[in-house]
Amino acid sequence: MAHTNFRVEVLTPEGQVFNDEVELVSTRTAVGSIGILAHHAPVLAMLEPTELRLYKSESEVVRFAQAEGYMQVTGDDVMLLVEEAHPPSELDSGQLRDRLQQAERELQDAGDDTERRRVAERDKRRWETFLEVASA
Amino acid sequence: MPATQRDVRDRISSVKNIQKITRAMEMVAAARLRRAEQRIEALRPYASAIRRMTRQAAEAAGDLPRLPILQEHPETRNVGLLLVAGDRGLAGAFNSNIVRAGVAAAREQESEGRETSYYASGRRPASSLTFRGLELKQSFTGFSDRPAYADARRIAESLMAAYVDEEVDRLDIFYNGYISPLSQVVRRETLLPLQQATVLEEGSEDESDSEGDERSRDGAQPEGPGPLVEYEPDPEEILGRLVPDYVEISIYRALLESTASEHGRG
Repeated sequence: MAHTNFRVEVLTPEGQVFNDEVELVSTRTAVGSIGILAHHAPVLAMLEPTELRLYKSESEVVRFAQAEGYMQVTGDDVMLLVEEAHPPSELDSGQLRDRLQQAERELQDAGDDTERRRVAERDKRRWETFLEVASA
Repeated sequence: MPATQRDVRDRISSVKNIQKITRAMEMVAAARLRRAEQRIEALRPYASAIRRMTRQAAEAAGDLPRLPILQEHPETRNVGLLLVAGDRGLAGAFNSNIVRAGVAAAREQESEGRETSYYASGRRPASSLTFRGLELKQSFTGFSDRPAYADARRIAESLMAAYVDEEVDRLDIFYNGYISPLSQVVRRETLLPLQQATVLEEGSEDESDSEGDERSRDGAQPEGPGPLVEYEPDPEEILGRLVPDYVEISIYRALLESTASEHGRG
């Protein structure tokens, strides 16, 4: 089935990483996986680390390792604001494993219910997800 | 003694060397400016969008938030003033304009019976305030040439802690907004409480400085009460993460605007 295309923009603090027409956006919110097609109802969502998939067509998919962020769906376009978004080919598994280990060490040292623990948990989830994307 | 031909030749070659050095310095300065300009231009659309989302979620969240970072304190007794300028002192009015604006704002607050707490980003504003005999709550230095996101995060964490612990009841920030290499403007913004924040006054128009993002996305939002927006999770939970991000990104933007302004002037 042919889908209607709509515009998607992905922004990070370092600049725009994607701005094109797609059929489907697949990402993950704090609630769970979400797929956005054209004419979706307006949404403001908090995003969790995941593999972001932008379907330009059924066979042409642009993938990113996506960090935490937000997604705004308005009438006819979608904007994703994410702290980081990297094409899988640019991920360095060795570096990600180092970061993951560092986050795990932090987690062991951090006291219960501290901001430090929350940051370490967040980092751990992000680097785990990025590693999965890198090895996919 | 009249100058010999040899003296004149030496003098000419020495001037030529100085010219070469000056030109090299100019090129370094131009490269720095270009880099600072690129960074602020890359950030502006993201920062503006974060601020727009914060406004939208805040309007949807209603008036009685549970999270301390979202709560307006019953009384404004102490106003925190963050002055953002440079580490170096060779940039004309760049540093002094910020200090002057901050001190004037503090006097105004004090004349209305409120206390103020100074925070400084950059060695110059820190030393100017100390020199004037004003007490500095905290200073953040050593990065004004090339601020990193981590620097903004450190400042934001410290200021948000002061707000949550009720050491300050409001947070204002002063910085040089970058327009062009020859033109900067002193900007003042209220970041917290969200209920008084400048971001809420920006209306449905895009911020004028978000040149990188000309489309007005709010135009697509239905006006008035009850726009049918799905929130995932609910607006207040989103704000719990969005507000710290908005404070960080606003401070980061101020640091980058300031750095570009400093390289433009300097």
